[in-house]
Amino acid sequence: MRVICVLNLMLLAAATSAHATTIVPADLGELSRDAVAIARGRVADVQSQWTEDRGTVETIVTLEVEDYLKGSLGAMVRFRVPGGELGRYRTIVVGAPDFAVDQHVVVFLGAHGPTVPHIVGFNQGVFRVVRAADDSWVVSPPPAVAGAAAVRVVRGDPARRPVPLADFEQQVRTLAGAAR
Amino acid sequence: MMRRWFGRAIAIATVLAIQAQPAFAYLEFGVTAGGNQVKLKWPQAAVRYLVTNAGVANVSVADFQAAIGRAFGSWEAVPTASITYQFGGLTAAIPGRDDGLTTLGFQNRPDLDRVLAATSFVVDAATGALVESDIFFNSAFPWSVAPGGEANRFDLESIALHEIGHLSGLGHSALGETELRAGGGRLVTAAEAVMFPIAYAVGSIAGRTLKADDIAGISDLYPTGDATSVYGSLSGRVTKDGAPIFGAHVIAFDPVTQTVIGSFTLNAQGQFSIGAIPPGPRILRVEPLDDAEIDSFFDGSRTVDINFRVAFSDRIVIVPRGGDSGEVAINVVAK
Repeated sequence: MRVICVLNLMLLAAATSAHATTIVPADLGELSRDAVAIARGRVADVQSQWTEDRGTVETIVTLEVEDYLKGSLGAMVRFRVPGGELGRYRTIVVGAPDFAVDQHVVVFLGAHGPTVPHIVGFNQGVFRVVRAADDSWVVSPPPAVAGAAAVRVVRGDPARRPVPLADFEQQVRTLAGAAR
Repeated sequence: MMRRWFGRAIAIATVLAIQAQPAFAYLEFGVTAGGNQVKLKWPQAAVRYLVTNAGVANVSVADFQAAIGRAFGSWEAVPTASITYQFGGLTAAIPGRDDGLTTLGFQNRPDLDRVLAATSFVVDAATGALVESDIFFNSAFPWSVAPGGEANRFDLESIALHEIGHLSGLGHSALGETELRAGGGRLVTAAEAVMFPIAYAVGSIAGRTLKADDIAGISDLYPTGDATSVYGSLSGRVTKDGAPIFGAHVIAFDPVTQTVIGSFTLNAQGQFSIGAIPPGPRILRVEPLDDAEIDSFFDGSRTVDINFRVAFSDRIVIVPRGGDSGEVAINVVAK
């Protein structure tokens, strides 16, 4: 029985959630290949629930899909992320992405058997879509896209800017198509 | 990596400064408890942990216990940190269950693809103290405990060292570089912190050794009696066109030891603070986190400014023994 109340976990003086995992890195091509569906949409609902074995808590995110860049799982798609808040308790699986209603995202979804889909690559399979200063939609930060030659990723590179959503989608469609 | 970053800055930094001001933050976890923010750390002297009584191919339970024991030992060996860990025995408990036990073990989680291991924890709401923390290692991946590592297998001790840092209360460090491979894929080319979130490739054992950034973090969280007099701190503020920015990565480079320690601007005032660092001269580099999964560092609700160019402090900053550098102001410009 859980006896300890879990509160918001955040970085000191920063009011931000804690995240902590060790991941195997992926570039956009790998994510596009591995995903069974890639959806852009608005987060319509976020609900935490006990896992089937009632051992811990998971969160079911409902996405109101505006477009699929790969595959199709319906106009409203639900996917799960580990951890969540249930009653007075919050279970944190650090590294799991968190979502809030009305956020705009592109999610790369995977599935193992007849289950609720999950995000491919944990937090790597979530791209945040935000308004730029000129009110256009952009994906930020820009994705890591491998090309024909090895490229060292350099922080602060003037070329590394938020990507217009349309360009990002075109890129993903191309990569997903090439992976078929 | 560090000489390349800081070569130009060493040439232009000229002025020294010494002032005193207490450090207020490091890249550590914290909790809101009773309306107050407190550091997320273990209240007791020794953290007691259990090991799940189940091995995987190539790694027996005894191998697993020994490897994580070495990893715990590495953190315990930091002379300026007081945290210790105590093996409490084998258990049938599974990591990731909310059972009040701190458990480390394997689980087969193919749904958590690309997740080698993860830490979860439970916090005492009244005190903000860390009470339970579990670490699971994903048995969907091939693991090794060989002294020199094994081709095509991930080094358990390296990954355990990282996760135990989290279990102790440390967040991720951004002190690392990646490279996009020709034809697809991404790999870590250098990391100056065990707490960098992306794993080295299979076969590597480079992640078995704590770096200056890790040592500063654990020493700041669990300082020994003399740590505060041995170390100093560094603080400052980052602005862009005069406005403070959130989430700028700040790196303090020691030109004598060639080591680096990093942090972020973590509030609306664009302030940063790095505690428990050895005294001496530092050159500061500020860079945007434009190559990373922001979710690895900040929650999805935070707006992290990534639209600026790399900038350096215009002077060498002195970290005094037992004191603070005084505020270092760095202005960056948009890309």
